[in-house]
Amino acid sequence: MYQYDDYDRRIIVERAQQFRGQVARRLTGEITEEEFKPLRLQNGLYMQLHAYMLRVAIPYGLLSSTQVRKLAHIARTYDRGYGHLTTRQNIQYNWPKLTDVPAILDELASVEMHAVQTSGNCVRNITADHFAGIARDELEDPRPYCEILRQWSTFHPEFAHLPRKFKIAMTGAPGNDRAAVRFHDIGVRIVENAQGERGFEVLVGGGMGRTPLIGEVIREFLPKPHLLSYIESILRVYNLHGRRDNKYKARIKILVSALGIDEFRRRVDEDWEASRTPALELPDAEVARVSAFFAPPPYQVLPADDQVGVIQLGRDRVLGNWVSNNVDAHKVPGYSAVVISVKQPGIPPGDVSDTQLDAIADIADRYSFGHVVVTHTQNLVLPDVRTSELPRLHAELRALDLGEANANKITDVITCPGLDYCDLANARSIPLSLEIAARFDRVDYLNDVGDVSIKISGCINACGHHHVGNIGILGIDKRGEEFYQLMLGGSPGNDASIGKILGRALAQDEIVDAVEKVLDRYLEIRESPDERFLDAVRRVGFDPFKVAVYGSADPLDAGGD
Amino acid sequence: MQIIRDRAIVDDDFVHVPDGAELPEAGKPIVTLAHYARARETLLARYPTVGVRVPSDKLPTDIPELARVALVAIEFPKFTDGRGYTVGRMLRERHAFRGELRAVGWVLRDQLRYLERCGFNAFELKPGKPLESALEAFDELAGTYQAAVDDPRPIYRRR
Amino acid sequence: MTGNFTEDGAVAWRRADGTWARQIAEAGLFVDEPTAKAAATRAAAQEQREICDPYGIEVHAEGGAIDPLTARQRIRANGPTIRLRRPDGER
Repeated sequence: MYQYDDYDRRIIVERAQQFRGQVARRLTGEITEEEFKPLRLQNGLYMQLHAYMLRVAIPYGLLSSTQVRKLAHIARTYDRGYGHLTTRQNIQYNWPKLTDVPAILDELASVEMHAVQTSGNCVRNITADHFAGIARDELEDPRPYCEILRQWSTFHPEFAHLPRKFKIAMTGAPGNDRAAVRFHDIGVRIVENAQGERGFEVLVGGGMGRTPLIGEVIREFLPKPHLLSYIESILRVYNLHGRRDNKYKARIKILVSALGIDEFRRRVDEDWEASRTPALELPDAEVARVSAFFAPPPYQVLPADDQVGVIQLGRDRVLGNWVSNNVDAHKVPGYSAVVISVKQPGIPPGDVSDTQLDAIADIADRYSFGHVVVTHTQNLVLPDVRTSELPRLHAELRALDLGEANANKITDVITCPGLDYCDLANARSIPLSLEIAARFDRVDYLNDVGDVSIKISGCINACGHHHVGNIGILGIDKRGEEFYQLMLGGSPGNDASIGKILGRALAQDEIVDAVEKVLDRYLEIRESPDERFLDAVRRVGFDPFKVAVYGSADPLDAGGD
Repeated sequence: MQIIRDRAIVDDDFVHVPDGAELPEAGKPIVTLAHYARARETLLARYPTVGVRVPSDKLPTDIPELARVALVAIEFPKFTDGRGYTVGRMLRERHAFRGELRAVGWVLRDQLRYLERCGFNAFELKPGKPLESALEAFDELAGTYQAAVDDPRPIYRRR
Repeated sequence: MTGNFTEDGAVAWRRADGTWARQIAEAGLFVDEPTAKAAATRAAAQEQREICDPYGIEVHAEGGAIDPLTARQRIRANGPTIRLRRPDGER
């Protein structure tokens, strides 16, 4: 993975020093909370309901074991013994004291980490395919370009006060988007043109939130040297012309849809022609320098026999089931990618304790060249595990309560923190995911229903990605009480779609029943066990599910909300 | 009034003239863009040095005869309104503006470093904010990755 | 009236004497909105160093117990509704 040089190190150390001064000025009253807020936000520090929350950046989700141990240490020393994996591949701490945050930033800097721009109206953490570098369906590893973008976006002087936050995601697997690039302010796909050259397809204006939109192609093929200058022109047009009068209309997607993609593209191209200089072009030498950090680890040459199949069919049913659900194909023979489920019954999704983090660091050292990846589904990946070691690894993970075999299944719920923690939320999310985990904690049912994504957000900001859940749940506030809308049909990937509301909002004691009714109806109507939930919904439409949940497909019974 | 200019605290030798207010006998007025657009020939004939105060939603191309202006003051109605950063860069990089580029309005010390990188060399801090300690901000975050007005080379051409 | 302590972010409740407590039970009550608003404006100006963003909320008060009217404020008063234990239990 990328290693800081003196230059990178200096920048992060300087930031920690700067924030120490800003905190001191806040505590003496030299600056007001209103003035401090944008400063702390650009350092990932929020005020939540009960305490501050510090969001630590994990660029493109990649961590070394040393960094994981540091995260454990921070959880133990400055927080309440746990951290929370987020849907943007970051980790956040829910209980830090303001007075401790400068020390936490120093600790992070010592392992080449930071909390830079994990919040605020600026360019946020760059996210990527969690199987980057190891996926069989990948054209090229996107992480070197993500790192180059990370550096470019870090303290960019022109774009620190955009109309609204700005999220960029990248995938190098154009045929299988695991990074939801169509739902980002800018999505980048590494593609090959007709001449066989590699470059970038650039999408713009996707997003969730109050107005969910699928990103549109602004440039079909951008030659690699122009990555930064072109993205900078997109940001510049947005910075000048994005709306600043209404925060719900301030994202770039609103500007793109107001102007239309053609006019937006014309403005970007006009700026690009006026601003790009030869100096901005990305030299091959820089790409090579950064790419060297992402070179494959020293894999052993192993036979390409089907050990995964042997384990799946073996006598240990628990192990076989885990391998079927949580182990993914690897581009190198004899190796596998392992998803560590951080969705254990009774535990808020994505919460990991200090002892678990320490143990994961040790496991990463012994099984996966010391690397761990955070997924946007709030799980962890061990990217490079020898397939023959899967049984031993599984036993170790089970001993840590991290051996749940539910990746991509209905209990692998994406959940925002919701009203238990978050100041923006309208309703709680975590109790629903705990109820779902308890209700469907049956291996046979899980496997029978198959791959279904349930995504829960406690408010319209959509941190839980409810718009792109096969089943989406959105918490709303009705006269101070919590209600939930049920949505079906969303998908974040190559077959991107936005879920639609099924009917009237449901009370807290109705919503999980409704999910069960939807799933049971799916089991009845599917054409075969091979027809996924999403495909069945797309085939039959909403009526059968409305009948299942509301007793009628009549919009007056089902709707009216 | 004191301002920060070229990283030093100095007495302001310009005077702001709001729309409709009386022009000074002599000296260096900063007039509104609307005033300048309306009466620039008279203004430029009467004063050897004229500054123009530009609202945050205007672009460099909205300033007629930019080359004859000695000072451009960009308004920051809120410190979270970031349009001025782009306008500053455009003035310096595309319009070769060499005069004083001043940030006015809701300007705080924690913006100074980024503003300077975007081409600003003068700053009127929000009233009540200390100037002396604000000078420290120019030395914070000295390391940079991007090309900007202070250095047209991105990090990969300097590393 | 409520807000969060600047130093550690904990939920703060304004006592009748104008000092700030960590328990809602200690909160002072305002009987009408204008008085509460005036106090909030005063606190926002004078106590911003100690307290972030103070504001008034509606509560039901009976027999000494103070119960906020909204789910949000009940959760702020009582803490997260999920069990806050280390995810791996006692180990």
